[in-house]
Amino acid sequence: MSSVRRHAPRIIPAAALLILLGLLLSGCETDTPQNTFDAQGEVAKDQRDLFYVAMWPAIVIMIGVLGACVVLALRFREKDPNSLPPKQIHGNTRLEMMWTILPALLMLGMAVPMVAMIYEQGEDPDEDAYYIDVTAQRYSFTFEYPDIVDDQGRQLFVPAEPHIPAGREVVFRLHAADVIHSFWLPKLGGKLDVVPGETNVLVLKADAPGTIHGQCAEYCGLDHANMTMIVHVDSEEDFAAWVEEQSAPPPAPANGDDGEETEDGG
Amino acid sequence: MATLAPPRRSPLSQALAGARHMAEDTSTIWSWLATVDHKRIGVLYGVSAFIFFLAGGIEALLLRTQLVVPENDIIGADAFNRLFTMHGTTMVFLVVMPMSSAFFNLMVPLLIGARDVAFPRLNAFSYWTFLAGGIFLNASFFTGDLFSGELGAPDGGWFGYAPLNLPEFTPGHGMDFWALGLQMLGVASLAGGFNFIVTILNMRAPGMTLFRMPVFVWMTLVTSFLIIFAMPVISVALFELTFDRLFDANFFNPDAGGNPLLWQHMFWLFGHPEVYILILPAFGIISEIIPTFSRKPLFGYPFVVFSGIAIGFMSWGVWVHHMYTTGLGTIANSAFGVSTVLIAVPTGVKIFNWLGTLWGGSIRLRAPMMFAIGTVAMFTIGGLSGVTHSMVPSDYQQQDTYYVVAHFHYVLFGGAVFALFGGIYYWFPKFTGKLMDDMLGQIQFWLLLIGFNLTFFPMHMSGLLGMPRRIYTYDSDMGWNLWNMLSTIGAFTIAVAVLVFMVNFVISLRNGKASGKDPWDGRTLEWSIPAPVPHYNFAQIPQVRHRDDFWHQKYQEDEEGNVVPIVAGAAIAPDAPPGGHDDHDEEEHHDIHLPSPSYFPLIASLGFPLIATGLIYDYALVPVGATLVLVGLFGWAMEPATEEE
Repeated sequence: MSSVRRHAPRIIPAAALLILLGLLLSGCETDTPQNTFDAQGEVAKDQRDLFYVAMWPAIVIMIGVLGACVVLALRFREKDPNSLPPKQIHGNTRLEMMWTILPALLMLGMAVPMVAMIYEQGEDPDEDAYYIDVTAQRYSFTFEYPDIVDDQGRQLFVPAEPHIPAGREVVFRLHAADVIHSFWLPKLGGKLDVVPGETNVLVLKADAPGTIHGQCAEYCGLDHANMTMIVHVDSEEDFAAWVEEQSAPPPAPANGDDGEETEDGG
Repeated sequence: MATLAPPRRSPLSQALAGARHMAEDTSTIWSWLATVDHKRIGVLYGVSAFIFFLAGGIEALLLRTQLVVPENDIIGADAFNRLFTMHGTTMVFLVVMPMSSAFFNLMVPLLIGARDVAFPRLNAFSYWTFLAGGIFLNASFFTGDLFSGELGAPDGGWFGYAPLNLPEFTPGHGMDFWALGLQMLGVASLAGGFNFIVTILNMRAPGMTLFRMPVFVWMTLVTSFLIIFAMPVISVALFELTFDRLFDANFFNPDAGGNPLLWQHMFWLFGHPEVYILILPAFGIISEIIPTFSRKPLFGYPFVVFSGIAIGFMSWGVWVHHMYTTGLGTIANSAFGVSTVLIAVPTGVKIFNWLGTLWGGSIRLRAPMMFAIGTVAMFTIGGLSGVTHSMVPSDYQQQDTYYVVAHFHYVLFGGAVFALFGGIYYWFPKFTGKLMDDMLGQIQFWLLLIGFNLTFFPMHMSGLLGMPRRIYTYDSDMGWNLWNMLSTIGAFTIAVAVLVFMVNFVISLRNGKASGKDPWDGRTLEWSIPAPVPHYNFAQIPQVRHRDDFWHQKYQEDEEGNVVPIVAGAAIAPDAPPGGHDDHDEEEHHDIHLPSPSYFPLIASLGFPLIATGLIYDYALVPVGATLVLVGLFGWAMEPATEEE
């Protein structure tokens, strides 16, 4: 019961709390490839703002409860080990009703913007939305553009580093070739699982041209860690040019019209 | 019962009776193998769970070592995937659950004034089946090619999602061991769950009404109900998986019309109640510790009890929050989003009531209390990050990132494990008659608190910066380097704290200060009996007149709630030698009938791993195992529960 031991606890939690808060806040300003705070599209921005709706009250309550733990433990510390027990308080119904009902109201209040956003983000895509079929297989994503066909009407297949237009909704139709994966481009929006036997649809919209990093977010086996992707966001003009480039017949020397190749298109 | 015994005894029954007598000498190993004493089974549970805790902890250290720097290649992808699968499975099923069972076993009969649980041999069966399942699960490590460094452990994640859990994607026998091992652990949990429900409902001392029961007993009751309803769900899922893997069934195979999401629904319909199975016993433990060391009754006992019951019911209606990103649609996500934000309410009530207990107390910051307050603080952080998870669209970003890893470690390590350590410090004297060293306890607490926060707080950051879970490597330009480095340093700090605990435990067991029967000025019945607890627990079954009955034997309240001691000096010196009138001469209690030891629960349990091994490798072993189970159950049914002299 030395005085050192009694005073040390005062400083340590307070310091720890400050450090933790500092760490939390510093995260908001880091510009890193998959930073969910650094949103580059409407969906990701809305989701980040909704996170703040929960995070700020949570931080306030956390400081309150942690502070109460420390303050109460020190304030009501036993002074005399030979003292009788203090007054026996068995409860206070009014107080307890209050701390049942108020949190319930707070929670329900938070649920309102949540449900609103679930429905908003679940709406059908815009008329001019651009459709892309994504197939996830161990351990890569491949992208097919139903609108990009060559002069024979065959669909083109884009292996890596796909392009999408900025300022326009893009509809990713997700197909799984083997196990469950999760399609995630953090700066554009939250993830959606790719489930075998189902076609999930994720609608994202990028604000401006740039490069977006993404990664499989559902454990899918040995090389899950390396199932990454890069998506290029182009301006409408650049995207049109890229589509043109893709649609052009390949400059390969053997340019015969092989009918067999149509089989591979799907 | 003696009248039913046959007059003439066969050589077999004589041999059995001889073996039983051998087990009655409590110094022999036989006495441990055949014990049906709830205290010894509790010790077995605790020791086994702690050994598994060390195994799961070493697995965690290996994982953290792999992730300490980007593009690291110390253990590699394959070992990493197997180790995180085993780390999760071990910590949930082989550490927190059985450690809670240890406390149920040790404490429930003492807290309700009983001499044993309702079904002592079922209790032994539950323990041995748990141990068999745990060893079987870990035996999977050796099915790989160890000499070339290949582990054979399961590699489908602790959640074992379909169709990754099918042999096409997870070849080898790891996932077979996983499915069958968990099946055994389910049997063990079910046996324990039924046992404690019956014990609590039927074996309470006279006067111990439901609303005089200690909160720990209430939480055990709620947990046991959750176990008996949740375990069958995972058992069905595991049976289907076993059929898919071993007999080419197609429950989860999408190519044959099976549904991979069916697995997720069943796994989380079990899995969410399971979360509360893990945390409610911890809530019960700190609801005992905080009043004792605040020297006040629990603030708002009915609110704490009813919020525990509410959590029990609500835990069945939130499982889809593990599946927000599977594409179930707006209606499902909205409904489960709202139910999930609401489950925070009863949990918050408990936190406020614990703080209310501290208020106006006369707080003794001994080691158990430090861990209990630590639990309140750390669980609060985990609960609040859980609230941020409940916000469905923002969870689309956080799902399957390190933010989730941070969240549930705050809940299950900061909540459950801290409370379990607190419980060990609190009740150690009751079973050993010795105190654990308080200074070492304080050192362990602060090391653990710092190490824990250093490990898991940075995971909030790495998660929000977009680091997915279950990746064995990452690029150096992702902004995750610092956070992962801190987490790894923290993990090794936790390891040091655990070492301090082990040193303290051993030192205290050998040379701990004598505690007397009531070292903490306790409130509940267990402190009224001698320490170490005699094998019959209570010389006389107590007559209970109050909640916190033992406290009322020592003190009374005047009209204003001020405290007056009943026996002068009873409260003055907590470490005073026991002087109660309960310490009658042991000779008087030879007439107390306790169940005799039995080998049959152990024999029945041994059959399960044989059946499971047979299913995987050679069907010939299956009938051998099944025979063992039947012999065990038959012998168990036929032998008299208590052997009369």
